Amino acid sequence: MTDHTELPTPVDPDDAPPSADEALALIRSQQTALERDQLSGIPWILGVWGVAWSVGFFALWSGYEGGNPWFSIPLPIAGTIFGVFLVGSIVTSAVIGMRLNRGVRGPSNFSGAVYGIAWPVVSLGAYLMGVALALNGMDGELQSLFFPAIYALVAGTMYLMGAALWRSIDQLVLGAVIIVTGTVAPFFGAPTNNLVMAVLGGGAFLVAAIVMSISLRRAAR
Amino acid sequence: MNDLDPVIHAAARLRICATLASLEEGDRITFPRLQELLDMTAGNLSTHLRKLEEAEYVAVDKAHQGRTPVTFVTLTRRGRRAFEDYTDALRALLGGTS
Repeated sequence: MTDHTELPTPVDPDDAPPSADEALALIRSQQTALERDQLSGIPWILGVWGVAWSVGFFALWSGYEGGNPWFSIPLPIAGTIFGVFLVGSIVTSAVIGMRLNRGVRGPSNFSGAVYGIAWPVVSLGAYLMGVALALNGMDGELQSLFFPAIYALVAGTMYLMGAALWRSIDQLVLGAVIIVTGTVAPFFGAPTNNLVMAVLGGGAFLVAAIVMSISLRRAAR
Repeated sequence: MNDLDPVIHAAARLRICATLASLEEGDRITFPRLQELLDMTAGNLSTHLRKLEEAEYVAVDKAHQGRTPVTFVTLTRRGRRAFEDYTDALRALLGGTS
């Protein structure tokens, strides 16, 4: 510890031994504060994705013919809205995600790194699979059913993996709902599948974000 | 209160141990990040870490990331065990609940 200034502490209040219940309360409050500090970014990640899915898929639904009965958005604009929200969410969650375990080195880095890298790798794999299917004759309508569904399956599976790694019930429920969303949406046909993605998928993210942020706040009390 | 480990039984060191114990076993944390999590001054944290280090509860290692020296702090196996014994002793004192 030579590179940190040593302050003379003749009377150190921190050195005073607390009573047993004070000591236990101190341990609990420190560990709660720590958990809160480490997890505080996650509701933001979920919230950003919730908005992206809700707005993005709603825009797509409003872009396709036979979609939104109230108003329509030209498809290129709807696609751009979707893309902007998607990229924005990827960047936001990568930045927050990399900060979650900052300053810590060791075995837990392995789990975090595998999880963090699996996201783009599996997403890219799913996308390329769709491209291959398209090159082999899958038409536009099928593509508009396939891409959201496979993406939801990837995302849902990643949340299940997160639930297993960090023993998180929130992520388990979210992952399950997202997988159901991806599985069910194509049965509604195009373009209604986009509405299912917006409401069920986007809704699940937003609810998860709110639930998690409330539980973090409660734990801090 | 005589049964409580005097090395851990002080507010600051208690908080340091609680923080380090909540990391996964074998994980090391940088000094500045630990300082941030504990909201302690560098001098104060150093003083308490030294006491924990003398008891071999904490290991402090210096490494280099590029050209920047980084100090890593970790709870040793002995420290982890001592902290568990300490919390057990606290609970026993408080009537053996949970």
